[in-house]
Amino acid sequence: MALLEVRNLDVTFASWGGNLVALRDVSFSLEPGERLGIVGESGAGKSVAAFAILNLISRPGYISGGEILFEGQDLTQLSPQEMRSIRGNRISMIFQDPMMTLNPVLTVGVQMTEVLHAHREISAEEARSRALQTLTRVHISSPENRFDQYPHELSGGMRQRVVIATALLTESSLIIADEPTTALDVTIQAEIMDLLLELCELNNVGLILITHDLGVISQVTQRAIVMYAGRVVEAGPIWEIVNNAQHPYTHGLLGALPQQTTPGKRLNQIRGVMPSLSNIPEGCAFNPRCQLVMEVCRTSVPTYTNIGSTRVACHAAGSAQTGNPLSLEHNKT
Amino acid sequence: MIASAWRRFLGSYLFFSFRRDRIAILSFVVLCTFFLASFSASLLAPFDPYDPIQIDIMDSEIPPVWMEEGDQRFLLGTDVQGRDLLSTILYGSRISITIGIFAVLLQAFLGISIGLVSGYFGGRLDNFLMRLADIQLSFSTLMVAIIFLAVFQALFGTELYEKLAIVMLILVIGIAEWPHYARTVRANVLAEKKKEYVDAVRVIGLGSLRIMFKHILPNTLSPILVISTVQIANAIVSEAALSFLGLGMPVTKPSLGSLINSGFEFIFSGSWWITIIPGVVLVVLVLVMNLLGDFLRDVMNPKLYKD
Repeated sequence: MALLEVRNLDVTFASWGGNLVALRDVSFSLEPGERLGIVGESGAGKSVAAFAILNLISRPGYISGGEILFEGQDLTQLSPQEMRSIRGNRISMIFQDPMMTLNPVLTVGVQMTEVLHAHREISAEEARSRALQTLTRVHISSPENRFDQYPHELSGGMRQRVVIATALLTESSLIIADEPTTALDVTIQAEIMDLLLELCELNNVGLILITHDLGVISQVTQRAIVMYAGRVVEAGPIWEIVNNAQHPYTHGLLGALPQQTTPGKRLNQIRGVMPSLSNIPEGCAFNPRCQLVMEVCRTSVPTYTNIGSTRVACHAAGSAQTGNPLSLEHNKT
Repeated sequence: MIASAWRRFLGSYLFFSFRRDRIAILSFVVLCTFFLASFSASLLAPFDPYDPIQIDIMDSEIPPVWMEEGDQRFLLGTDVQGRDLLSTILYGSRISITIGIFAVLLQAFLGISIGLVSGYFGGRLDNFLMRLADIQLSFSTLMVAIIFLAVFQALFGTELYEKLAIVMLILVIGIAEWPHYARTVRANVLAEKKKEYVDAVRVIGLGSLRIMFKHILPNTLSPILVISTVQIANAIVSEAALSFLGLGMPVTKPSLGSLINSGFEFIFSGSWWITIIPGVVLVVLVLVMNLLGDFLRDVMNPKLYKD
């Protein structure tokens, strides 16, 4: 049985100008211990998807359709109490900026043990010793001292390690990491990623890694989905996506990686910006920015086609742009 | 644990700026003296103003020692009933301070709870509670207190009232002023709940109450502390005003306000000290509290960091 299976998920935000659809028909699944990447620019709906899984979309947003099956249980049907016993206990989440996600006025120890106290009957000493143990597992030196310190007394990398340790405390079977390294120093980023990978492999924990960096995803995850304007535009094994991308948007993302640019040249970019939710273009949402736009793209929304092991939503899929992503980007300039 | 907390306090910015602010130090010392003196009144005061045996009507209206007709026994003179003014002031400021502190505790309790709930849940509940606060604020504290206390006295008689005076004053002043806290707390909660750490604890699976009180409340403590100092001063002034109008503490158990009131009739007959001395005490007490409040506000507002 799949650990997590999201089927045709729709998330809608009610607003004065009509309903805005933040996620449309999003489906993906995750086996136990598997690592999945969600890629896309800002506003693609990556974080909304993460919050939807935890059923934490705040008003005026709501899940307007679809199912989220976690270990066979539909999370959208659970009562608030049942959902709370899953959050932090079975599914943990790691956020982007560890300075913002730790409460500045409470010590590290208080914040860590809180998860344990919220989910199981446990004495203060036992919670403390478990927290110290986990701090050691994330390679924090002298955990006894760190335990009584405040977040501002720790460095950025250290704080993110604390956050990861908190996520591991309850032995969740799924961790959702929302851009866990974006706010960190470049030198720390790789360390934290390695740590996350190591711990997930060791404990057979499923990981959903949300990021805009395909480079990071390709090192950590096994599969990836690419999102654009609230839709999944491409999904498949990470190897296929990086080496044999089908969707022009995935090509654009790959081409925008700094590694793909000749030193001294300008960085490649995808022209234009992600449309706002209130103003999603007719047909394929990507058509105004697409290099390969055709007449049909402006009128009809592409359906999913399977090409090898990837699933792609593009009218041009399977025709022109397969092969090395670099070829397309080089033609542009 | 306590030692380390104390060391942390000594190294804090709060203590650093306190040491460099002469007005704050002076206010703090004066305030501490007041607190100590009034709460050890039964030890310090030469007489017990509540004990009728120690009061001799023949001693009434004796001026302070430094005046010609002064009496060695009565440092600050006596009032109309022959009570030693110094002792009465000590006992009276104890009552004033007690009423001030407990009224503010009540205000804080009501205001913080309502403000937290209102800010955290938002929506209709927020609208309802904040309109309630607006309505409460549109009646002045004194007006509400006068009506309430007068009705109580008329219904249950002055005898019962005299017994319950302290409790009644605390209740009335406490209930009338909660919107100040509620508004401040709500505004801060609105800012805090948008921060990511709140999302992070929601993700952990904590309940709303725990999030509100354990995570958001500590982050709004500094404005609460600042308004508390000002509100205690306000509560003491309100109590004094009510007592001055004859609706506060009875003459047998005078607070500073009722003491001022009791001497007011005699001020033109030359016995100025019965009114002026407690008046000065009240002004100093309120002044140092406000000065300390200003100091705290300056220190705890990061936008106002001065060099």
